[in-house]
Amino acid sequence: MPTNHLAAPDGAAFALEVTGVSKSFGEARVLDSVDFDLRWGEVHALLGENGAGKSTLMNILTGIYAADAGQIHLNGAPVPVRSPADAMALGIGMVHQHFKLILPFTVRENLRLAAGSTGDDWTAIDAKISEVLEKTGLDVSLDVPVGTLSVAERQRTEILKVLLLGARILILDEPTAVLTDHEAERLLALMRDLVGSGHAVVFITHKLREVMAVGDRVSTLRKGRMVLRGKAVADVTSADLSIAMIGAEQAAVDARPARPLTQPILEIENLSVLSGRIKAVKDANLTIHAGEILGLAGVGGNGQRELAEAVMGLTPATGRIRLHGDPIEQATVAERRALGLRYIPADRASDALSPDNSVADNLAVTAVRTGKLGQRLVAPRRILSHARKLIAVFDIAGVTAGGRRPIRLLSGGNAQKSVLARELDTESRLIIAHSPTRGLDVAACRYVHDQLIEATDRGCGVLLISEDLEEILALSDHIHVISRGSLSTTPDARPAREDIGELMLGHA
Amino acid sequence: MLDRITLERRAGSGPLRSTLTYAAAIGVALALSLGVMVAAGVPTGALFEELIVQVFLSEAGLARTLTMATPMILAALAAALCLRLKFWNIGIEGQLLMGAILATTVALYDIGGPLRLPLMLIASALGGALWIALPAILRIRFAVSEVIVTLLSTNIAFLFLQHLLFGPFGDTMHNFPTSPVFDNAEKLPRFGFGDVHLGLVIALTAVLVVALVTHRMRFGFAARFAGDNPRAAQAMGFDTARVMLVSILVGGAMAGLAGGVIVAGTEHRLTQAVGLQMTFNGIIIAALARNLPLLIPIVSFFIAGLAVASQSLKVFYGVSEGIVLIIQGIILLTLVTFQFATTYRVTIAAARPA
Repeated sequence: MPTNHLAAPDGAAFALEVTGVSKSFGEARVLDSVDFDLRWGEVHALLGENGAGKSTLMNILTGIYAADAGQIHLNGAPVPVRSPADAMALGIGMVHQHFKLILPFTVRENLRLAAGSTGDDWTAIDAKISEVLEKTGLDVSLDVPVGTLSVAERQRTEILKVLLLGARILILDEPTAVLTDHEAERLLALMRDLVGSGHAVVFITHKLREVMAVGDRVSTLRKGRMVLRGKAVADVTSADLSIAMIGAEQAAVDARPARPLTQPILEIENLSVLSGRIKAVKDANLTIHAGEILGLAGVGGNGQRELAEAVMGLTPATGRIRLHGDPIEQATVAERRALGLRYIPADRASDALSPDNSVADNLAVTAVRTGKLGQRLVAPRRILSHARKLIAVFDIAGVTAGGRRPIRLLSGGNAQKSVLARELDTESRLIIAHSPTRGLDVAACRYVHDQLIEATDRGCGVLLISEDLEEILALSDHIHVISRGSLSTTPDARPAREDIGELMLGHA
Repeated sequence: MLDRITLERRAGSGPLRSTLTYAAAIGVALALSLGVMVAAGVPTGALFEELIVQVFLSEAGLARTLTMATPMILAALAAALCLRLKFWNIGIEGQLLMGAILATTVALYDIGGPLRLPLMLIASALGGALWIALPAILRIRFAVSEVIVTLLSTNIAFLFLQHLLFGPFGDTMHNFPTSPVFDNAEKLPRFGFGDVHLGLVIALTAVLVVALVTHRMRFGFAARFAGDNPRAAQAMGFDTARVMLVSILVGGAMAGLAGGVIVAGTEHRLTQAVGLQMTFNGIIIAALARNLPLLIPIVSFFIAGLAVASQSLKVFYGVSEGIVLIIQGIILLTLVTFQFATTYRVTIAAARPA
């Protein structure tokens, strides 16, 4: 019986112990003889850059992948984990970055569906749900359709789901990436509560601050090797972790010195955007000058995307938009791009890249469109040499066959660098960067930031839209806050952190 | 049992692996097909003669195969051009019929004087493009499913064809529902190699032009990006609606041209049978050629060979014509299965200890 494993005998040192796990995909060795252990009652933070092997390791623990070599012990006894069902039976549950919930169903219906395979009837499942809720103090409304819930509430539903299925070991894959600061605080508190009641939590994250705040121990993967194994968080500094993660001293990002404002590049007056029947952007006014980074802070879904798309010409809008003083409301996307407007969308996979086309084609596509690589015929070698230059300059890793393979094979960070490489060309004058570092590791983040700053040195203006307040504070010359489609009206100041928080919640 | 099978997406398959998979798939498909034919009553000893010699190696057989392949190449282009933009053209037959009808109109009403033959071909292409314009606009502008509209518009085209053949286009000399035979000036020239005619050159030229545009020209870039990810293509500044419309209209024109080539090159008159099986043939060839224009003539050649072989199998061994559809199905399914194997790695874990 699997429940035998769930007892936490004092004799067993570790809840979970992984020894010598290796995994290769084709020729790429993603995990190289990795050791990892987890104690009952601890939050064990797992750090690592994109592509360091964190997700692969966790997918092995949850039976999604099979390890090429190595062993998994639960409470000191070797266990086979061949499928997600095996993992669940052993009490190992994972909350993925992308939730697996049915939106029109209520929370309770989703839970019944998930627990249905245990053979219990609904009354029994409902009783179990109440029991778990009572034990953990999770705050979830059961009879509301999941589609109407916020991201944080959906995440709590997922956590409730794995607890309901009997998980004692919880793996949370970058759970705070989708949350606001306030929601993240709540989640960290929940993690402490869970380990307080005897669970064990593996917490995957990029954010050093969160490791320090909630972790008992920390491990760090770098390029498939465990470079820091199970150190007590109290014994390490964030500098130690930074170095372990990226292999070199990592300087903190300083706030940029303010610069004098010269010439306005982008002027927006009374811009409104309808999304269905709701006004997603309401009478927005803003001006961006040459060399200026204007930060737009706000909780996701408050009209940021609609604003960006209206400026690019991808969605109809009312109001005035001027680029270099010329009105562009009627201009097509191509005409706006010809005037130097560039766009780094929040969702690169769906809005910026063509996954099945090659890396080289994705890098060259806008140059091809405007005829820079040939008016009539476009020679493949010109595309490849254009791409080769960008791959070198922007340090895009993982490119094979000179860029002839599909770009979907690149990792997230390198795909994002490809978007940057394409959009930050020499003729760019105003860059709309929407969450340009979402999901990137520390080194890649810094690279993206450096590139944006470099663009302003050339005289570009940047509209930086981000939910990451640190990023906004570190980079912006001026900060606007967007809340329910309305912009705060303090363009000439850098408001204090607390003030921004208030504005984000729409209190000001 | 099933929970012991795991699927892993491969990090990407190189050209060597794809080629090997392709070759293996065709090998397996051939073996299965031969089995089906033997089961259907073809003597084992006759297989080589009927499938290879009579279709590809004898002069008459090769000529018949090439003639048969000519409209198939164009129909496959019609399927591929649309499929690249994720537009399922299930109405190739309808566009082909409208092309054949307009070409016949030019011929029967003696329009165009010395330029009649080129005019017939242009009219056929126009007919195909016009017939796909409505489904294209409905899809692009109003998101109406093209599958239903192209499919049903084929029925309309066929009924219109019957109306013409039993009415204004009917041959008064006899009572069969066909148009009168064209004048010599309305027939595509032949090369003295069976029935092989100029249409083959036209079809191959069309392939080369489509390949050039797709892989070497700015419009082809736009089409490849708009087909793969229209949202991103739009953000890059492409006019995706226009790119889609143009690609689909050209696809329809290719189907119409197939109709023109059949009436002017092979049949020399309009009949009820000119478009038979062309939607299915076009789609299967495009799928086997992975929508790559340059592979289309090669695949068409073999699919045409199969169709030619089936005719003699029917005559000499009483094998049903349906066998050819079964074999096409086998080839397509085998290939799709093998493609799955290049995309995923399948592992089956050892049985659990009891």
